[in-house]
Amino acid sequence: MHAFRGVPAELTVDFGKGESLAVYGDNGTGKSTIADALEWYFTGEIELLSHEGRQHAVRYVGDDDSRVTSVEVFTSGTLGGKVVFPDERDAEAFQAVRRETFLLRGRTLADFINKTKTEKWKALVEILGLDAIENLREDLQRARNELRKESKAAEEQVQSYRRALASAGEAVTHETVLANIQEICRMLGVDSPQSLDQVTDPSWLTAAVGASMAASEPSERESLLSEGRTLNAPALETSTLEGWNALVSSERAQLLPRASLVREAKRLFETRSIGGHCPLCGQAVDEGQLARRIESSLVEMMEGSRELERYRDPIARAANDLIAARDKRLSLHDRARAIALELPPVPSLPRTDLQASVDSLAPVDIKAITGFLSELRKWDRAAAKVAQAAAPSGPSTRDTQLVMLAALCQQVKSWRLAEHKAARALRAVNLADTVFDAYQTNQKEDLAALLKQMSRRVAQIYARLHPDEDLAAVSIEPWTAKGVELAIEFHGSRQRPPHGVLSESHLNSLAIALFLAMAEEFNEQLGFLLLDDVINSFDVEHRGRLAELLADGFSDWQVIVLTHDQQFFEHLSRRAPSWRKLELTSWSHASGPRTTEYETSGILAAARDRLENGDVQGAAAKARRALEELLQEICEALWAPLAFRRGQANDKREIGELFKGVRRTLKERAKAVLESVEPLLKNLEADVGATLNVEVHGSRRRSGSSEVEAALKRIETLDQRWSCRACRTRVWHRGSPEAGRCKCGQTSFPPVPVG
Amino acid sequence: MHRPSAQEFLLKVLGALEDLPPDFARRFAEVLKKADVDRSQAIRQLFEDFAGD
Repeated sequence: MHAFRGVPAELTVDFGKGESLAVYGDNGTGKSTIADALEWYFTGEIELLSHEGRQHAVRYVGDDDSRVTSVEVFTSGTLGGKVVFPDERDAEAFQAVRRETFLLRGRTLADFINKTKTEKWKALVEILGLDAIENLREDLQRARNELRKESKAAEEQVQSYRRALASAGEAVTHETVLANIQEICRMLGVDSPQSLDQVTDPSWLTAAVGASMAASEPSERESLLSEGRTLNAPALETSTLEGWNALVSSERAQLLPRASLVREAKRLFETRSIGGHCPLCGQAVDEGQLARRIESSLVEMMEGSRELERYRDPIARAANDLIAARDKRLSLHDRARAIALELPPVPSLPRTDLQASVDSLAPVDIKAITGFLSELRKWDRAAAKVAQAAAPSGPSTRDTQLVMLAALCQQVKSWRLAEHKAARALRAVNLADTVFDAYQTNQKEDLAALLKQMSRRVAQIYARLHPDEDLAAVSIEPWTAKGVELAIEFHGSRQRPPHGVLSESHLNSLAIALFLAMAEEFNEQLGFLLLDDVINSFDVEHRGRLAELLADGFSDWQVIVLTHDQQFFEHLSRRAPSWRKLELTSWSHASGPRTTEYETSGILAAARDRLENGDVQGAAAKARRALEELLQEICEALWAPLAFRRGQANDKREIGELFKGVRRTLKERAKAVLESVEPLLKNLEADVGATLNVEVHGSRRRSGSSEVEAALKRIETLDQRWSCRACRTRVWHRGSPEAGRCKCGQTSFPPVPVG
Repeated sequence: MHRPSAQEFLLKVLGALEDLPPDFARRFAEVLKKADVDRSQAIRQLFEDFAGD
């Protein structure tokens, strides 16, 4: 990891090839950074930092913002890779391991146990991969509930129609409704329907009820009364009559009867000469003068005739209107009498016939005519009053009954449609119920089987942690539809949940058992388990049992245990000798976690990289660092008697002190070894003072690449003296400082003298 | 442990049910394959379609 959490530059953790690893370190030495790196890599977040305002702490919090934060994981499969901050992976990137269980932390150890039943259910659903199945169950339930609502509404609609159709407490059935309608039809003289289908058939309704309605079209009386209410006297312009009278009384009109004589005279003058004598009286006349008089008279007559024509047509129409109006009223009078309704006598027409006056060019009696019209209007009002008084207040009883029958048929139709809709809705609900119930039952059964299987394994693991206690039958049990709860047999009584009877350490054991069982049952991709400070509440005995369980029961897994507990670390060291060990000794803001793991080869490799890339001074600095690391490691392994230093000062000893420590210890315990390595140590001391003295380089001279290369070789030689050629581990990997051996056991301490 | 998909699980359930309308399971599977639909509404419609007239 680079610039990640508490690591300012780089920290490499070698997990080996699937080997388990125990990491020991005091509080604050950076153990959890290892867990954080794996959590971030495999889940995209660090749960502790998932709260608002904490995400930035994924990066190393230092003064150099240019550092790139990254975590690189090497795996045997396809899940390895490198993640750089900010992490831009989407949910799809975590799909493969989303449901895998791999990390258990002390501070969240009992989280699952302390969840509510529903929260436990949700967590399990997620882990077990049942979320998609549960989502579909919820959709099924929503669909079914909606159908139920629709069905209920449809049934209520049916009931409301039934209530409307009910009569005298009689149960509303198809038969009773049909019988009622048939009875009504018989009473109204309408053809009775044979079935409710016929009742709701529009053609039957039209044929039966419609025909009957048509037969009772407005009666003669109603028609007569209606006509009586809408009478209007003809309109007549008295100015027209006055104009006519003025015209026919004028001189021009007096001439009109002579018009034919004048026309004849004109024709005579136009065809032959009269010889200076009038052809009628024989008197001598001036032919020219006579012709002009004839022409003048004829023009005047023609004008008078045109004016008469202008009045003649309106007056002729008025004459006809008066006659028609009287005839209409006479007719009404006679029809009324026929139905025993008495109307007033119809006024007589004026004595002077209007049409006759027109024909004879005589003046009309305007007063008589307007008087007649006035009498007509009086008669109309009187007739309207009679009609009003005689008119019925509404339609006939029969018509009302027919209308009610039609409405009843419509209601029956609506009722039957509602019944049809309700029946269909009920069928849909029944189908939904069948599918939903079966789905839910299967889901419950599958879950119960799954929980039973898990419970068995949890109980086994729990029993290994607490073998002598009468606590058994740990199980995870379904709780109603959407909940699960833990249960335990406590001295013969079933406790669900077990919180009331279990101590904190027992609850933590339960959480560990659950974690391990779930990983065993459901992990398909991840083959490692990471337990970060999970034994805080355990006593020595239970720590030993957990160490034994992890070492023996999970030997097929790559287990990574982080602990600040020396005893637990030692338990693991004894009971899982094949596990790798890593100790974190201190942490500083500038350099991050320090480990006791052999790091010299890694630093030497970095020095060689720099040398090959032409960075000679960088290579020298790395080489010096590698030598310091190696000497520290040797001093620690040999229990070299160095001057006492407090805390982290041990990690900052002068390199000269380390040389002294190595020499002094070897002199006491392995003199031959010292003699064989003394020349090498002297040369290395010289390197430290010159070639690897990077502070001197700036002021005096720079090292050449060949000098750094030689120093590197000498460091590598010293490194090899303390390593097993077979397993590459330190020779004090096991055993004591006086009689150590490497991991594979082929190389023992003290190292074999060279030569 | 094999974690069945929702569709696999549903088809197992439907397969064990007797007297389901013909073609119901196939139509249901089609509903589950549809993306960007309100699934509960589509399921409700399916039940209504198979309720007949």
